[in-house]
Amino acid sequence: MATTACFIIVSRNDIPIYEAEVGSAAKREDAAQLHQFILHAALDIVQDHAWTTSAMYLKAIDRFNDLVVSVYVTAGHTRLMLLHDSRNDDGIKSFFQEVHELYIKVLLNPLYLPGSRITSSHFDTKVRALARKYL
Amino acid sequence: MADPASTPLGRLLLDEITPVVMVLCTPLVEEACQKNGLSFVQMLSPFRDFNNIDVPVRTASDQPYRLHKFKLRLFYASDIRQPNLEVAKERLKQAITQAGERDFDESCSDRPPIDNEFARSEAESPPSWFQFFNKELLRTVSFSDHEAFDHPVACLLVVSSKDEQPINHFVDLFNTNKLPSLLNDGGMDPKILKHYLLVHDNQDGTSEKATKILTEMRSTFGSDCQLLCINSSQDGVVEHQVNPWAVYKSDASLDRHLGCFLNFDDLDEMKELMHDLSSKYIIPYMEQKIRVLNQQVSATRKGFRNQIKNLWWRKGKDDIVDSPSGPMYTFSSIESQIRVLGDYAFMLRDYELALSNYRLISTDYKLDKAWKRYAGVQEMMGLTYFMSDQSRKEAEYSMENAFNTYLKMGPSGQNNATRCGLWWAEMLKTRDQYKEAATVYFRICDDELLYSAVMLEQASYCYLLSKPPMLFKYGFHLVLSGDRYKKCDQIKHAIRTYRNAISVYRGTTWSHIKDHVYFHIGQWYASLERYDLAVAHMLEVLACSHQSKMTQDIFLREFLRIVEKTGKHFELLKLQLPEINISSLKVIFEDHRTYASPTAVSVKESMWRSLEEDMIPSLTTGRSNWLELQSKVIPKNYKESNICVAGEAVKVDIEFRNPLQISISLSGVSLICELSSSDETKSDADISAMELQNDDESAKLMNRDMNSSLSLSEVDFSLGARETNIVQLTVTPRVEGVLQIVGIRWKLSGSVVGFYNFEPNSMKKKSAKGRRRAIHSPSDNLKFLVIKNLPKLEGLIQPLPQSAYAGDTQKLVLELRNQSEFSVKNLKMKISHPRFLNAGKRESLDMDFPACLEKNTDYEWSCIQANSNDMSQSVFIFPEDTIIQGGTPFLWPLWFRAAETGNISLYITIYYEMAEVSSTMRYRTLRMHHNLQVLPSLDISFLVSPCPSKLREFVVRMDVVNKTSSESFQFHQLSSIGEQWEISLLQPFETIFPSQTLLAGQALSCFFMLKNHRKSVTSDEKTPLSPLLGSAVRLGPQGSPELLFDISCSPLADLHHYERLHQENSNQGDRTSIDFVLISRPLKSDVNSGISDPTRLFTHRACYCSIASRSPITWLVDGPRTLYHNFSTSFCEIKLNMTIYNSSDSAASVRINTMDNSSTSNLGDVISASAASSGNQVGWYDVSFVTDIKVTSDVAGGAKFGKPPSLESVPPFIWTGSSSTRAQLEPMSATDVPLQICVFSPGTFDLSNYVLHWNLLPSNSEGNSNEETRRSSGTCLGYPYYLTVLQSD
Repeated sequence: MATTACFIIVSRNDIPIYEAEVGSAAKREDAAQLHQFILHAALDIVQDHAWTTSAMYLKAIDRFNDLVVSVYVTAGHTRLMLLHDSRNDDGIKSFFQEVHELYIKVLLNPLYLPGSRITSSHFDTKVRALARKYL
Repeated sequence: MADPASTPLGRLLLDEITPVVMVLCTPLVEEACQKNGLSFVQMLSPFRDFNNIDVPVRTASDQPYRLHKFKLRLFYASDIRQPNLEVAKERLKQAITQAGERDFDESCSDRPPIDNEFARSEAESPPSWFQFFNKELLRTVSFSDHEAFDHPVACLLVVSSKDEQPINHFVDLFNTNKLPSLLNDGGMDPKILKHYLLVHDNQDGTSEKATKILTEMRSTFGSDCQLLCINSSQDGVVEHQVNPWAVYKSDASLDRHLGCFLNFDDLDEMKELMHDLSSKYIIPYMEQKIRVLNQQVSATRKGFRNQIKNLWWRKGKDDIVDSPSGPMYTFSSIESQIRVLGDYAFMLRDYELALSNYRLISTDYKLDKAWKRYAGVQEMMGLTYFMSDQSRKEAEYSMENAFNTYLKMGPSGQNNATRCGLWWAEMLKTRDQYKEAATVYFRICDDELLYSAVMLEQASYCYLLSKPPMLFKYGFHLVLSGDRYKKCDQIKHAIRTYRNAISVYRGTTWSHIKDHVYFHIGQWYASLERYDLAVAHMLEVLACSHQSKMTQDIFLREFLRIVEKTGKHFELLKLQLPEINISSLKVIFEDHRTYASPTAVSVKESMWRSLEEDMIPSLTTGRSNWLELQSKVIPKNYKESNICVAGEAVKVDIEFRNPLQISISLSGVSLICELSSSDETKSDADISAMELQNDDESAKLMNRDMNSSLSLSEVDFSLGARETNIVQLTVTPRVEGVLQIVGIRWKLSGSVVGFYNFEPNSMKKKSAKGRRRAIHSPSDNLKFLVIKNLPKLEGLIQPLPQSAYAGDTQKLVLELRNQSEFSVKNLKMKISHPRFLNAGKRESLDMDFPACLEKNTDYEWSCIQANSNDMSQSVFIFPEDTIIQGGTPFLWPLWFRAAETGNISLYITIYYEMAEVSSTMRYRTLRMHHNLQVLPSLDISFLVSPCPSKLREFVVRMDVVNKTSSESFQFHQLSSIGEQWEISLLQPFETIFPSQTLLAGQALSCFFMLKNHRKSVTSDEKTPLSPLLGSAVRLGPQGSPELLFDISCSPLADLHHYERLHQENSNQGDRTSIDFVLISRPLKSDVNSGISDPTRLFTHRACYCSIASRSPITWLVDGPRTLYHNFSTSFCEIKLNMTIYNSSDSAASVRINTMDNSSTSNLGDVISASAASSGNQVGWYDVSFVTDIKVTSDVAGGAKFGKPPSLESVPPFIWTGSSSTRAQLEPMSATDVPLQICVFSPGTFDLSNYVLHWNLLPSNSEGNSNEETRRSSGTCLGYPYYLTVLQSD
């Protein structure tokens, strides 16, 4: 498992709808904001990359020092972004795919308004389990 | 692409990579120059730049070309050395600080948010001092020994004409120990071009002496000698319109005096001098040197043979010591010469020649592992590619290579790497590759925080300028840069970058980012003592519910600390702590509707309206009195606003929520209100509305609040983590006028005052005043018309319990008070649940409760009559003479009985009118609401069945279950209601129930005999006069002193009346029913002695207990039971008498059919057969008495029963007389039918083989609907009647 990993789902309007620190490293107070900054800045790069490829998984598209940003863009332009420090491309890809499935299930919930914050604790538990499994 | 030379980088290179002239001068020269406030080099500086020198140049190739732009760099010999890094750093820092001060003052206003369209116009936003900074940064690595372009090309020796023995001075000046180390340690060729200059100060005399020296010089040094006359202006007042020196002198204060002794002749002379120096000496010298070097290089390195040789020779040098800077190359080494050749060619714009030489040397350096030199050459290659506008890829590759190589060298190469990076970035920017340039800037960052801060900021601007603009990256890098600025104490820069970043992050939902940015700006502003701005930014982060508890604590404490430091009374409109749930706003006010308790307010208005319908004068009738009156008193434009009464509080419920995980304390929470008196009605209200527009009205509002016309409540409370609290705030207007509730103010943690304005448009009010609200515009909702003081009743019912056991009967007292001097009259009261609560008589107020019910006075008899009238109308009208005033309580008894289990809401509304007719409001209502929980206690059920042996007598079975968990009960009496009923015990109660006390959970059944002693129909009136008369039976211990309660007296009877009314709904009224009242008493809870509590009384009622005969017809067969007869003589004839009673209200026709079949099965057969004949049913089926029989039996009855009985079973007796007897019965009457049987042998016979058909005749007058729903006919089988006939002797 990666020591640092921050997973975030960004809606098509660039609003974070789900955030999770999934790293095994001890939490640092300023880490959360740094991670947000890096991921937020990486949105620019995603914007460039997303239309150059038909694949949903964009691989590692941005980096900041030793932290790498991997991105998976769904068809609805929801971006699953993972900030990580380990290089485990296959694992990350599987992680993204499974989270995408979970996300679709959330979308199927008629009470969930697309683009709003995902508050389901079930989703959260599942994502964390997947992170433990793949990252 | 444009000419590379005209790009920023091109200009920079043409500026920076130019021939260096080393200046050596005597102190006297300097002295002469200092008169103008300039050093010698500075004095010449404006003239070293030639935009159109137009000199033909011929380098290695034979083709000459013309050089247009040319520039010289002049340095004192002492400056030609590696600059001191510390000094350079200090200088840069100062430059940044100054820039910070300058920019900071400009940028205090908020920047507009950047969007994509706007980004272009912001293109000039990169601060101009970046250029300067970059240039300074480049210079920190000048005069390195690995690069030849900083090596002096020529040497300018300057001696003043005042110097003694000028010739000797010239010689002395070029003394080796004064020369820069470059020339001495062999880094460059010490034999350089020398130029001799004699400076003459015209103020010291004519130039004759100077001319003499010049000739002397010419004879000594040859032709390279010149004379420069300066300070021709005697009085020093020459004003230069465009001062050429200003840019070279940073000290701005001396501007005016610069060059004050230099007139135009001097300037021309200097210009001439520099032009000559460049075109006649330096450029030809460089040309010549290039040609010489080129020949040498061609001889040693060009050609195949030389290359092989070189390669071989390099290989052999593998064992050379690997020092970090590589092997030392002297000026005479071929490598250095190639480098010099390249650099000279570059300076003379022969890029092809330069490039070929750089290429040549770069492989050599690489093989030699002379990394610094290698990187330097790569760097130059990149620049040369750029300048010659050749392959971009090559250029970038070279730059990257150089950059990486410098970095590889470790800290010593860092500065070079920085320079290389800057060039590289400039190169990319020139080509519009902003994104890549930003990456390069980012890579330049190193441990030097200040530099990296600037670099990051430049990177951020690159992102902004890239197409499309990468705003997120821009913001991020600004923040990174600001962070570094902060670390080097450049707070103003830090604030500037963060403020720029806000333009990206404003309104972002990335909460951590927003918090970080705003919090730090706030903090930094605070450290600069700009507290207003600090607070404004800190406000943004206060409601940070997503942060950890610790962070929230830090934010809040920091905020409070800053506020404290401001030292002033802070009032903030946008204080986000606590959150105010505006949709929870609820205004409670009392106009003509007043409320006794807060719970009464929350009851739906429609509930009250339906309750008050009967009491309040309706609008049509009321128009003549109070509404018209009101329209006279109230100005028209306020007619639609709410009305409240002076002196009575308007309450506002509002919800505060603490989003944080730490608790916050609030104090002085109060409303902000305005009250304008009614005289100056409209204009004043408008003014106050305008005042609301500006933000600083709070002070004014404060003043308004202070005056005595209003009183406001202040609430202090604290909100725990994530707690929500609903607070009730009140405002009490004291005078008439228009009251407007404007907002709320509160004090957070005792230091910050926040206030919140109720925006008229965003507000949605749920008021107690339901449907009239919809018509009004919302802004009116907080506007009240205050009218004159009115009396107001306050009501209280005591002691109304919160919970009671079912059946509990109590006397309560309604207490009404009117605090004002004015009296009220015409009181009326309505209670929503009269079963539970109804008004008593004034007389019973003083009476002891249970005792007054006892059956010992004849007083109650009178009140029965009165009450039965009262009960018909549901509104209770207090006596006419009731007037309440001046705070004296008015008491009225109420009877309470917990009639039903469950949670009951009791609504009581009291209507009253003002005694004073002139008041604006004619009447008011007092609304009381009480919630009551009724627990199950005794559960009683009655089963009444007719007594088989007697007509009009019934056996009553009473089942009682004590369903309480702890209470015990003693029974007191059971009463039946209705005068025709008489109830009695079958057995003494002691024998049935010896313990006398029904414990919790216990059940009891006992039997009673009920007798109907009504004589006949005719003697009774149609409706019983007093249905509540009845009889009672004592269930207590015999001989107890307690008297029976009279259930027909006022309270019990009233309660019973409502109980009946209620139960009537569920139980379709049956005239043949009876009501029972069981009166019991609970045991005193504290004593176990089994003594009942005499003050408490439970009444349980069962109404409409059906007397439960299936048909309205009952009959009794009467006759002998045992008989002796001598059968030897004859058969025995026995007469029987059947008494038939019709208990229904209509006449009945009864037919008795006797059958001589003894077995009942036959009888059933008959009936089923008759049934089957009408329906098509086959076989056995259950015949229901209720449905089909009535049709069939009447039609086919006679024929079927005429069927001859089967011969096999001859019954031992036969009916004699008519087999079918018909009788007519009047309502409620009895008749006798004689019957006769013949018995042929002794035995015991069951005489049940007869069938009774009855048929109710519709009453002749009107078809009562109630009757029609009931059965109109039926068939009954005979009762068993056993007759024993014995053989007599």
